[in-house]
Amino acid sequence: MEGDSIVDSQEESDNESEVDKEEEAESDYGDLEEDEIDPNFGHNLNEPLPEESEYNPIKREYPEIDPVYDSDSSTEENENTVGNIPMHWYDDYPHIGYDINGKKIMKPATGDELDKFLSTMDDPDSWLSAHNYKEGQDVKLTAEELEIIRRLEGNRIPDAEYNPYEEQVEFFTSKTEVMPLSAAPEPKRRFIPSKHEAKRIMKIVRAIREGRIVPRKSGYVPPKPKFYNLWNDAEDKPREDHVMHIAAPKMKLPTHDESYNPPAEYLPTEEEIKEWNEMDKEDRPKNYLPQKYNALRNVPGYGQFIQERFERCLDLYLAPRVRKNRLNIDPESLIPKLPSPRDLQPFPTRLAIEFLGHIGRVRSISVDPSGLWLASGSDDKTVRIWEVATGRCMTIYHLDELVTSVVWGPNKEVAVLAVACGYKIGLILPEKLFSPELTLHSEEYLKAGFSNNATVEANPKATWKQPTPSEYEKGIRVWIHLQKPVKQVTWHRKGDYFATVAPEANNSAVLIHQLTKHQTQQPFKKNKGAVQRVMFHPNKPMFFVATQRYVRQYNLQRQELVKTMQTGVKWISSLDIHPAGDNLIIGSYDKRLCWFDLDLSSKPYKTLRYHQQAIRSVAYHKRYPLFASCADDGNVQIFHGMVYNDLLQNPLIVPVKILKNVHERVEALGALCVEWHPIQPWLISSGADHTIKLFS
Amino acid sequence: MDALAEGPQVQVKFVTRQRQYAIPETPIQTPARLRRYGLSQIINLVLQNEGEKQKPFDFLIDGEFLRTSLVEYLEEKNLSTENLLTIEYVESMLPPTPLSSYEHDDWVSAVQAHQPGGFLTGSYDNHVRIWNKQAECTHILSGHSGAIKTVQWLTSNGESGTLLSGALDRSILAWEYNHTDSSNSILYECRGHTAGVESISLNSNGDRFASGSADSMIKIWTTTVPTASDHFDEAAETRKKRKTAKDDRIFKAPILTLAAHTGPVSSVVFNPTSSDTLYSAGWDHSVRVWDVENHVNVATKNCEKTVHALDYSQLSGLLVSGHADTVIRLWDPRTEESSIVKQTLNGHQNWVTSVSWSPSSAYMLASGSYDGFIKVWDIRAKGALYTLSHGKGSKKVLSIDWSNDFLLSGGEDNQMKIHKAQDMTERIEG
Repeated sequence: MEGDSIVDSQEESDNESEVDKEEEAESDYGDLEEDEIDPNFGHNLNEPLPEESEYNPIKREYPEIDPVYDSDSSTEENENTVGNIPMHWYDDYPHIGYDINGKKIMKPATGDELDKFLSTMDDPDSWLSAHNYKEGQDVKLTAEELEIIRRLEGNRIPDAEYNPYEEQVEFFTSKTEVMPLSAAPEPKRRFIPSKHEAKRIMKIVRAIREGRIVPRKSGYVPPKPKFYNLWNDAEDKPREDHVMHIAAPKMKLPTHDESYNPPAEYLPTEEEIKEWNEMDKEDRPKNYLPQKYNALRNVPGYGQFIQERFERCLDLYLAPRVRKNRLNIDPESLIPKLPSPRDLQPFPTRLAIEFLGHIGRVRSISVDPSGLWLASGSDDKTVRIWEVATGRCMTIYHLDELVTSVVWGPNKEVAVLAVACGYKIGLILPEKLFSPELTLHSEEYLKAGFSNNATVEANPKATWKQPTPSEYEKGIRVWIHLQKPVKQVTWHRKGDYFATVAPEANNSAVLIHQLTKHQTQQPFKKNKGAVQRVMFHPNKPMFFVATQRYVRQYNLQRQELVKTMQTGVKWISSLDIHPAGDNLIIGSYDKRLCWFDLDLSSKPYKTLRYHQQAIRSVAYHKRYPLFASCADDGNVQIFHGMVYNDLLQNPLIVPVKILKNVHERVEALGALCVEWHPIQPWLISSGADHTIKLFS
Repeated sequence: MDALAEGPQVQVKFVTRQRQYAIPETPIQTPARLRRYGLSQIINLVLQNEGEKQKPFDFLIDGEFLRTSLVEYLEEKNLSTENLLTIEYVESMLPPTPLSSYEHDDWVSAVQAHQPGGFLTGSYDNHVRIWNKQAECTHILSGHSGAIKTVQWLTSNGESGTLLSGALDRSILAWEYNHTDSSNSILYECRGHTAGVESISLNSNGDRFASGSADSMIKIWTTTVPTASDHFDEAAETRKKRKTAKDDRIFKAPILTLAAHTGPVSSVVFNPTSSDTLYSAGWDHSVRVWDVENHVNVATKNCEKTVHALDYSQLSGLLVSGHADTVIRLWDPRTEESSIVKQTLNGHQNWVTSVSWSPSSAYMLASGSYDGFIKVWDIRAKGALYTLSHGKGSKKVLSIDWSNDFLLSGGEDNQMKIHKAQDMTERIEG
């Protein structure tokens, strides 16, 4: 305890001498010793070190050693070699240990307490000595050793020269580097597996082995959460639009002239600006004028922005939007695959012969069954007979009325030409054209009825009369006088019966005449509508009557109506029946040509509307699958119309040729009549321009 | 010659079959840009023809007329200019020159070549006329009651002769005429056709003739003059009627009727070398070959258009036909195949209703069309050699005939036109 107090007092007395040193240190390191965490630590570090520092931590100076023989005295000392053992083991022995030679080092003689006291009192430095138990004697401490003690007691680093706060080498700095690359060597932990992690893993492994952790079994199903997502469906997809949803139409994208800097050609000229300004707002093609600005920042606000947005909103809100079903079909595929006209030859293509001579509209033409002679009836009150091959007019018959219809008798054995002329029907025998035998036969055939006529009571609606001798000389053999003007004559295929149409004679509009007996019958007591055309079926006892809108098919044997064709046209102008008898075509004044398949329907199989004006005449070819139509526009159109024997196959109709401006339009009339050559694929047409033309 | 040396050269060898124009067959370098005219000048230069003696030549390479320059020809055929080109040359046919036109009262529907007796024409005014070279009508033969469709010389010398005419009145009349006393008379009337007679052809022996009619029949008749009418089993009444009008006529019946055509027969032609071979064509689109002796239709050649005219060339052995589709077709009657058209000639604008081979050239023919033009063709050339206008406007040409140096044509404009055509006889291997 005394010792303690002594040392204390010693320290206090010595404190004053140490103050200077301590103050020096403090001036060097500031108050670091007191506050271990210094808020200004970084700042201090960043600040440049004091230049005048005498202390250099790297270069440490040691006392000079004079390398002479006795410079190291340690070997001479008689050192105890027992090592670091508790020395009380030797308390009971006279020696204290062993020297290097193994001899006992004897305990030094110690005085008693009095001696101790006396020596203490005598030696002023006795309090600076410490007992060396290995040596068994007191050793006087040097100044350096005392200094160490003192620093230890002050909890400071024993070595006064050691600097715990050495200057930092800034591998990483707070400064932002331009090229933030470190020169620091790659730390080892970067490339060796972490021991810590290995430990942790081994811990888990061990736990699994011991069965403390049980892995999931195969059939494990994680329990469903007891809540569900209120706002999302299973897939995170936008919901599909409602079926009736119609997207708002997109705004038109701006064009070049809406640019703030449009190309020069878009800028309006002064006249255009003026014109634009003068125009009514509604009339302006665009509601702005293209303008040029040097920069985008010079562009003013758009004055009509609000207005336009408002109108757009009104449009979207008020304008009903209707879904248009757009079919995604290639329009080409909808066009039926028609054979090329080239494969459908022969059909007439070019004008071959013109038959010139008439001086009035040629209303009707007809080719005789042999195909050599063409008869034509005209408004110039003549009937002419032409040689087909050359276009030569062979005979002219001058009549007293407009000739509305000429038809050759279909029988090759009887040469007779039926002519409708005003109120009369004339039967002409062109003598010179036919062989004497044929002429003779025809003569007898035509006249046979006159002897018969006396017995039969005369029909008041039609009277059969002998021609005058002068008319007989010309070739006219029979006259039939009707009550009303005759518009059409048509023959039965056998050449005995022929039918006439006089539309103005209401109920007796249709009359059927028998040539051999000179009889006239009225097949219909009453006619429904104004009769336009009539026609005999080419091989059955059928009769077709075309009124303005309907075509009716009658069975003459049973005397009943078979069928009524609803044409859908306004006014039928012409009618022809396919030579096979199952199809018929009609032409109408409202430009339509309708094809009826009699087996198929009472509605048109095809309605062709290719003419620009009213159709005047339609005709089937007797041998070739051709039919033609002519109209007031002066054009003649030629179609390929193939009828198949196979009932399942519909007729094939292909337009093959349009002969344009065949006849000049005269007083709104163009081509008036078309007729096919009975044998060759030649077409003959007549028109209001007084001509007849043959196309081959 | 400097001009000749310019440009690419091609080595050519000129050959000819006309001996009077033969030149040495040595290859010559000629400029490739030369055309027919330039080549013709070379030949004339070699032949030392000068001035009036210069003759135009036509040039054939591989049997085809050269119509472009040599270099264009070579390019077209993909030939090299390095190779030797063999060119055949023939004297050009000069364009036919119009000589005169004989005015008629009506359409001239039939013309027949010049014979010593004159020109023979038939007209739609029902008269057959004989003309001399001074454009005088020496005889008007009237007796037909329908338009004359065809005429045919039988025999003729300077003074008198016989001839045939067929008409739309279904009859063929044989006539006799004499220039010395300007008399003419009907020898006999051939009856049997029931429609107009379209064509008459005399065989090489001169003892038979064939007639084609619109009633689709071909009838063969003898040329002997009968002394009495043949018996007809037709209605006596009509014959009586006819006889009252033309009492003195002797009627003749055909010795043979060939019926196979299904449409009007437009043309019949006897083979000039074989009196039994007859060619016919008609509106039923067929060209038929007949063996008259055996009454057999030997071959039928079909096309798709009506045939309106037919002619046979003894020199080339080919048939030429005029069609309603404006095309002229050439047929080889010797081939077996029924519908092989050897060649087609295109150029007309309307029906070709008359064709006639050149009597002197195996390659030349003339055709008349409803478009109003007569075209002269060389079958080695692609197009027509010459196109002659028959008359004013586009009046139809109804009939043509090419005799040795006259090209006759009759048409709708009531004219018979005579063109002087170069006699090409000397062009055949002289």
